[in-house]
Amino acid sequence: MMSCSCYSLTRKLLVTAIAVALPGMAVAEPTNADLQGQIDALQSQVTALNTEVNQATEWKNPNTLIHTAGYADVGYVKKEGQDGSFVVGRFAPIFHYQYRDIVMLEAELEFEVGEDGETEVALEYLTIDWFLNDYAVLVAGKFLSPIGQFRQNLHPSWINKLATPPPGFGHDGAAPVSDLGLQVRGGFPFAGMRANYAIYASNGPEINAETEDGIDYELDGVAAEGFNADVDGEKTFGGRFAILPVASVEVAVSVAGGKATVTNVEGEEPPLPPGTVGPVANQTARDYSVYGADFVWFTGNMSVRGEFVKTKVGNDRSAGVTASDGATWQTWYTQVAYRLPNSKWEGALRYTDYDSPHDSVDIKQAAIGLNYLVTNTFIVKLTHEFNEGKTDQTTGVKYATDDDLTVLQLAYGF
Amino acid sequence: MKFINDTIHSSVFFAAYLMVAGGFLITALLTTALFTTAQASNYPAAGNFSEGSKVWAENCNRCHNMRGPKELRDDQWITTTFHMRLRAGLTGQETRDVITFMQASNTKAGATQVAVESSTGATGKETYEKTCVACHGDEGKGAFPGTPDFTSSDGILAKSDAELIRNITNGFQSEGSPMAMPPKGGNPNLSESGIKAVLAYIREAFGQ
Repeated sequence: MMSCSCYSLTRKLLVTAIAVALPGMAVAEPTNADLQGQIDALQSQVTALNTEVNQATEWKNPNTLIHTAGYADVGYVKKEGQDGSFVVGRFAPIFHYQYRDIVMLEAELEFEVGEDGETEVALEYLTIDWFLNDYAVLVAGKFLSPIGQFRQNLHPSWINKLATPPPGFGHDGAAPVSDLGLQVRGGFPFAGMRANYAIYASNGPEINAETEDGIDYELDGVAAEGFNADVDGEKTFGGRFAILPVASVEVAVSVAGGKATVTNVEGEEPPLPPGTVGPVANQTARDYSVYGADFVWFTGNMSVRGEFVKTKVGNDRSAGVTASDGATWQTWYTQVAYRLPNSKWEGALRYTDYDSPHDSVDIKQAAIGLNYLVTNTFIVKLTHEFNEGKTDQTTGVKYATDDDLTVLQLAYGF
Repeated sequence: MKFINDTIHSSVFFAAYLMVAGGFLITALLTTALFTTAQASNYPAAGNFSEGSKVWAENCNRCHNMRGPKELRDDQWITTTFHMRLRAGLTGQETRDVITFMQASNTKAGATQVAVESSTGATGKETYEKTCVACHGDEGKGAFPGTPDFTSSDGILAKSDAELIRNITNGFQSEGSPMAMPPKGGNPNLSESGIKAVLAYIREAFGQ
């Protein structure tokens, strides 16, 4: 029975194979008409394909554009006298939503991992940019401080030539970090040169005070980090004006002024508006001013830049609890970077001098860096800081700011 | 001393306040131009390729390493350049010029694009000044890190004409450079004779 079935199947297969093969064997050479028909069919297909391709270009010019940029860095940090650690620096995605050439929403988030393993998220900036005309853009929201160049343009790790920021340009430093309000900025030709500007009105900073005995207070720091409320009701006005006498040189001055009030005392949370019950009640608004100057010059493989910022808070002679003398925070740095010709290697040197009312954070720093540019936006950086901190007058021991630091960093901008 | 401090602060505050108030006022007056630019049927309006290459070469390197045209698509260059308009203090026209340059320069070898001005009939010097000078510089030494030095005796001009023409036509990444030159220097309308002419000019002007 089995043998009969196999025979039948084999026979069927043979018949099928012959049936398939015969027509091909019997077909003669194609005629011109056949070929013309095939050409017509192909042309028709190509025409249809072209039409489809042309119609498929609509994605190129939608009214709304969405784009993601940003940067991230990871690395290894070794501080003098401590064990080294692998670290995740930060992940900072930037979102762009643009409607034609009229408006753009920009937002940058900053993710960092704390020493306890917890992930911290911050809104670095969020602005709606209204492109008013060729020379002015209205920027509304939380923006990076236009004072100087480091905070607004150079702090991303793939841009900063060294793996660490210059002292005084971070939180509670001499330079404002961000602000919340309205800003107008743009560029324009000026007397045969180019110029750019930024002017703003904002909520301004909050001032922190500290005390050791609950009787005498002194200023602790100026927190200029784009607070979402103006608890003292005092606004700040400021801006930056830059001129480029030639394309390779930019020189700028920055200024900001207004009033600011002590709204925080170390250990007291949350901030309390002046006049309410608490240690910061009945405080008097103090003078608040920021001066800055910066420059950059680049030629061929070398760039030289520098920046100076001074923040000053006035005295409070009232009967308020935290009445105390004013204080000044001041920092400056200068930096040289040189790329070896026809290579991906780059060297960088930076010197910074940061002075504040507190010896514990004052520092003079020389930083040296060696960078390898795998691509222009993916950089391996080795940075060493030679730090000189002050000495604690009561103990005679150097503050922690005196410890040197070595950082190996992989930075990627996208 | 207190008088001096108070005077300085008052002056700073007054100057800052005047600057901001004046700036907002000028901005309000200038916004009439908004309605002529925002209603364009296409956006952004076509810019000038040569000017765009110049603005790109002169401004981006002021803060960060150069980003080559091939890093992003056409639509991504629009948002990126508008973002950079704020960061670098560019004018609207400069922004449109850079977008035109980047979009024209990220095309594949052999592609043509109508937005780029024609190089037909241009001398080698004219082509160099329009298409090449932004990256290679007036003196042929490279306008920013990563571009080769034409004046170096054992540099890139030591190669044969055939090899250099092939590199210009198809685009080329020099050894040690993290960024490639786009095909035809980013100008798709550069003809074969135009490439030969500009190479001859480069050899004459910068070769050892």
